[in-house]
Amino acid sequence: MSSVIEVSGLRKFYGPFEALKGISFSVGTGEIVGFLGPNGAGKTTTMKILTGYISATAGSFSVAGHDGFTDSLELRRKIGYLPENAPLYPDMGIVEYLNFVCQIRKIPRSSRKSRIDKMVEVTGLTPMIRKNIGELSKGFRQRVGLAQAMIHEPPVLILDEPTSGLDPNQIVEIRNLIRDLGQERTIVLSTHNLPEVQMTCSRMIIISNGVKVADGTAEELEAQGSKEGRFIVAAKLNGSGPEGALEKLRALTGVTGADHFGTRGGAERFVVTTAGDSDVSEDIYSLASSSNWVLSELRRDVMDLEKIFHNLTQH
Amino acid sequence: MGNIWAIGKREFASFFNSPIAYFAITVFLIMVGGLFFGTGEFFEVGQATMRPFFEWVPLLFIFLLPAISMRLVAEEKRTGSLELLITMPIRDTEVVLGKLLGASLFLVVALGLTLAYPIAVSQLGPLDWGPVIGGYIGLLLLGLAYLSVGLMTSTWTRNQIVAFILALLVCGFLYYIDDMAGLLSDRAREIAAHMSFQAHFENVAKGVLDTRDVIFYLSVTAVAVTIGKFSLEARRWT
Repeated sequence: MSSVIEVSGLRKFYGPFEALKGISFSVGTGEIVGFLGPNGAGKTTTMKILTGYISATAGSFSVAGHDGFTDSLELRRKIGYLPENAPLYPDMGIVEYLNFVCQIRKIPRSSRKSRIDKMVEVTGLTPMIRKNIGELSKGFRQRVGLAQAMIHEPPVLILDEPTSGLDPNQIVEIRNLIRDLGQERTIVLSTHNLPEVQMTCSRMIIISNGVKVADGTAEELEAQGSKEGRFIVAAKLNGSGPEGALEKLRALTGVTGADHFGTRGGAERFVVTTAGDSDVSEDIYSLASSSNWVLSELRRDVMDLEKIFHNLTQH
Repeated sequence: MGNIWAIGKREFASFFNSPIAYFAITVFLIMVGGLFFGTGEFFEVGQATMRPFFEWVPLLFIFLLPAISMRLVAEEKRTGSLELLITMPIRDTEVVLGKLLGASLFLVVALGLTLAYPIAVSQLGPLDWGPVIGGYIGLLLLGLAYLSVGLMTSTWTRNQIVAFILALLVCGFLYYIDDMAGLLSDRAREIAAHMSFQAHFENVAKGVLDTRDVIFYLSVTAVAVTIGKFSLEARRWT
């Protein structure tokens, strides 16, 4: 996998305050990377540097082979950017605005209409098409923001807090939209919402206080951050009691402990802990089928990631 | 060039989406008419002339044009849309020149509407159109300089009112700098006249378009636009 974004030793001072203390990472083609960190960690600063809005104090970066310092205009052609809160022109109509973006993005006049129509359709703006941007709800404004970011079909999308301030339904819709888009292009999105990254992103980069503290898939981070894995198991035991089930679970190779923590909807619930990152889900599955249990839940405990995040970013 | 035009067009269209533009133009036209025909000057002269018009408009512009230019950058800074604009493949210079173009188109419209006055005057008696045309070109250049000053102050703040007041102060200062220096000595007035909007408009109002005046207005424009561009760029380092 070739990398499309290369960042090396990026530092940024705001006056005496060091917002970025030497951040390096790379993003491969087609990845969806979640930029994660508490407020003020440096996520937005990094994105503003990548998109050419502000300059780094030190370090270097390139996007699609274009250097951020010497080739900024070309670099910006390769990026679609949605800043936080989608700051668009409220007095313009949707089509009028997208047409303006087409002009600046040098999309030939002949293909503008089809591009705009396509974007409006992809982002689900059709029912709002006659409205001014200022009249739209936050969710629809966000969609216009995504439409302008993608209208020139850039290989890289940079989205700053794309779902913040949206209601739960809108969050799901925007997330699905981003996931669909991610099949064709590289996306870097920032959030301080952990479940969001897990649901949308193939990889996460956690920064805290201007320093990168973790970089990897959710599974890698879990393995890295905790010496033990946790699995949640819920099953109807069909006659046998939870005590017998606990014994069988503890007997599995790799399992270091198991606890019963209640009953819900007729299913007994267990937490199974394992040493290291060994995956015992298959073993638990075959145990369940040979013991005639009806599994209703079997998953790695995601709470661990939140703990890892908390541990990495608290100071 | 295409980017400048695209921004200028957008800016021009957005003036007419806000009530400020209509309000400013209306007040301007009423005041021009009131000062022109109402102060008695026009009828006392007893001939068809536009002299009083070209004496009053530069003063009115000190209020009108900063009200037009104040939002150019300040408003985009406040809402954050400047970030989206600047991260498109576009140079900071193009942003500044595009904004100036949009405001200048507005100036052309405002001046275009005042053409009703010379047309009315020419109905009353024989009007010498030569000086009138020269005067209008002078007003365009003067207006361009005012707008550039307003654009410059608009890059300094995210508050439109602050941008307006600063532009008003700078334009007013550059207008009256010769009168103010004249309080010190005649020599000081002579020197200050080189930098005065007012002194440079004296000949224009008489109907003489002097190269020195043209160069003066264009120089003010260039300096203000350059400062505006640098202050826009300063976001990178602060």
